[in-house]
Amino acid sequence: MSSRVCQTCGGTDIDVDQARGSAVCTGCGSVLEDNIIVSEVQFVEGSGGVSSAVGQFVSADGPVKAPLLGSGFHTSVGKESRAQTLQNGKRQIQQLGSQLQLNQHCLDTAFNFFKMVVNKHLTRGRKTEHVIAACLYLVCRTEGTPHMLLDLSDLLQVNVYILGKTFLLLARELCINAPAIDPCLYIPRFAHMLEFGVKTHEVSMTALRLVQRMKRDWMHTGRRPSGLCGAALLVAARMHKFRRTVKDVISVVKVCQNTLRKRLTEFEDTPTSQLTIDEFMRVDLEQECDPPSFIAAQHKAKMQQLEQELAKKLDEVEGEISCYKDEIENELEKSRPKLRGIYAAYAKQIDPDDVEVLSTATEPEELVVEDAELQAATQHLTQDFLCQVIQEEEGQDKKTDDNEHELVPEKEDTGPQRQVPPLAIILGKLPRSASLDLQQTFQAFNKSGTEWSAILELDLDGIDDQEIDKYILNEKEVQVKTELWMKENAEYLKEQREKEERIRKEKEQGMYKEKKKTKSKKREQIEASTASEAIEKMLEKKRISNKINYDVLRDLNRGGVGSGGGGSPSRASSDPPHPNTSTRKRLSRSRRKDPQRKAHEVNQDLATCSHLAGHCFTPQVENSVTMTTQTTQAAADPPTVPEPETSPAPTRPPPNVEEDEEEDEEMEEECVSALQLVGDYGCEMEEEDIF
Amino acid sequence: MDSSNDEALDIIVTNVVATFRTRCHLNLRTIALEGTNVIYKPEVGKVLMKLRKPMITASIWSSGKIICTGATSEDEAKLGARRLARCLQKLGFKVRFSAFKVVNVLAVCSMPFAVHLIDFTKNNRPIASYEPELHPAATYRIKNLKATIQVFSTGSLTVTGPNVQNVATAVEQVYPLLFECQKPLHK
Repeated sequence: MSSRVCQTCGGTDIDVDQARGSAVCTGCGSVLEDNIIVSEVQFVEGSGGVSSAVGQFVSADGPVKAPLLGSGFHTSVGKESRAQTLQNGKRQIQQLGSQLQLNQHCLDTAFNFFKMVVNKHLTRGRKTEHVIAACLYLVCRTEGTPHMLLDLSDLLQVNVYILGKTFLLLARELCINAPAIDPCLYIPRFAHMLEFGVKTHEVSMTALRLVQRMKRDWMHTGRRPSGLCGAALLVAARMHKFRRTVKDVISVVKVCQNTLRKRLTEFEDTPTSQLTIDEFMRVDLEQECDPPSFIAAQHKAKMQQLEQELAKKLDEVEGEISCYKDEIENELEKSRPKLRGIYAAYAKQIDPDDVEVLSTATEPEELVVEDAELQAATQHLTQDFLCQVIQEEEGQDKKTDDNEHELVPEKEDTGPQRQVPPLAIILGKLPRSASLDLQQTFQAFNKSGTEWSAILELDLDGIDDQEIDKYILNEKEVQVKTELWMKENAEYLKEQREKEERIRKEKEQGMYKEKKKTKSKKREQIEASTASEAIEKMLEKKRISNKINYDVLRDLNRGGVGSGGGGSPSRASSDPPHPNTSTRKRLSRSRRKDPQRKAHEVNQDLATCSHLAGHCFTPQVENSVTMTTQTTQAAADPPTVPEPETSPAPTRPPPNVEEDEEEDEEMEEECVSALQLVGDYGCEMEEEDIF
Repeated sequence: MDSSNDEALDIIVTNVVATFRTRCHLNLRTIALEGTNVIYKPEVGKVLMKLRKPMITASIWSSGKIICTGATSEDEAKLGARRLARCLQKLGFKVRFSAFKVVNVLAVCSMPFAVHLIDFTKNNRPIASYEPELHPAATYRIKNLKATIQVFSTGSLTVTGPNVQNVATAVEQVYPLLFECQKPLHK
């Protein structure tokens, strides 16, 4: 509303009426403006007296064509690619997020992350699935929900490390600092899954204390939080007198048995494990431990040190022996008779080797074994020598003397020879492991750096041609190798030839196309008329786990009540055909005798039974009170469930009710038999009594 | 805070990766049939040749590009590469040694103290990342040096960078940060 001046009277008081759309001067009454364009929300009265605002919401993401195309369809025809991508992403986020039971706020945040990702063009070259999973996991981490990356990878059947890579990249690009995972977050979730009943809270508290203690004892850095939680929960359960085996815990926590045992042993090594239960709840030890891998490394270092000391001692002893050896040699030299013929050669060889033997007297521990042998040999021989020398001096047989000499040079020959190659290896190792003098290497590198781009001719200095010739086979060897290779790779060569021929033919026909390699196989849709067929077909296709009793699965929909005996070992994944994985999870973990809940789940899964649910429930609700094994919690469940179910039931025509009920009961029995097969504890008996 | 002056930290270079080109087409089948210590992989299209003297493994492609891995120093890598080229020359190819470049250097180093990874990550938020579910070490990436350092809770580090000098600089850079978040050891 600009303060204008009236042209007739010069007055500044101008009244603008939005309703009429006119600007009038209050002084002289002259109309300054008529039909002012106003920008206000307008309301329209619809049918039934409902008033609604006129207008449409326009999205801020990019230009969208006029949404009313001709007759005003609200389909996604004609939207731009970006909008389509976002819409697709939103749908997938909703789908995945609902499987994880995330609330709407989290899903919205995830969608915002996704929008940011798309804006930064990070979705290019990545599967949308992975990107969506990474966005969802980002939200889980920022909100602190107890979802693991493993859960997401389970849902998508993707390698967890691939998801992790995408997640790390997104976190880096979007500059989102995800707070570190605290194992304490997972405890309530796992405790709930392990079903401690009323005492869940207490067990969780104990497990939390344990985890905090483990954190202080440095067991948690670098380890998966789920492993620690598993160990803590196992101990906590035992402390509260629940008999949870290692197998139960690992099926919930998703680590392997060895990991759990390792964590338990590490915890055992800490001083806290020595406390009794009461003491642990009350007292907190001040002392903190070192990380377990550090302790292991220290242990190793100690062992190495001990070995070194041992080697040194042996060296000293060997040093003494070599002194004696020298003296003896000298003596022998003086009193040795002239060696003839072949022995002359031996005599010559000894001397240079002797020198080397002396020089290698200060070797490290690699030669401990050989030194020991040498020691023993020399000890034995020195005694012989002494005897010989004495005998010789007394004028004994010269020939026997020579024989002794022969023996000795041989032994000494092989002895020092054994030592020579190791020496070369040791000298070869030293430059690698010494502390690098970086300046030197940098300078040396600089020198060779001048050769970089300029020289194309090969600089031959330092290259031993002879050695390189060893790398090349001669003619005959080449022939042999060619034959072998051809035989081995005959199939491959044949394939190649066929491929070439095929390409040639197609080229002649003018139909040759560059064929792209298809990397991913599309999974065919399994078409089956009934659930049982679907299960069978799926089973043929993929063997999911070796923990499933497949025969039982096949009999699921076929047999009656009696065939459900052997189902108890199969718990976790005994419901593969069900796409609804949340119910799968619930089934795998529920170990209580809870037919209500299971019936509820089965009703969700088996579509055929769903409309019968109402009828199924009413008799069960009556019997819930009589069943002693039911807890009050479980009884609370069914009343909520039958309410929605029973509402469609009354709408049915009454004459069919009787028939339906009979059918219901039969179908109900089928439902129940499926339950039994899925791994039950003997509810079957009670159910049979009821129906 | 140049505390690395007191005790020299042993930076041990364990692997050097280098590439070079021979500027001529190589017939892989000839190399496979006439050389010792070779593995031919026709599906991928390369030949692996292993040398003994500098312990080196080379991947040879028919285009003439060669990647040399397993050397323990840059000089050794160069020597090995030249040896390899000489070997190919003897096999009858018109080899010219060009574009030798050290691409990656991997070194390990050990701190005399243990490191509290969670604190370390918190203090260096965007540069350091720690994901215990995926990998037990915290990753610290130095952009200007193009070096990546993986820090384990025991105090050992693995450093990768484009050359040895960068690697050493990276260790010196990260030492003070680690020193802050060190964990006092009990004996």
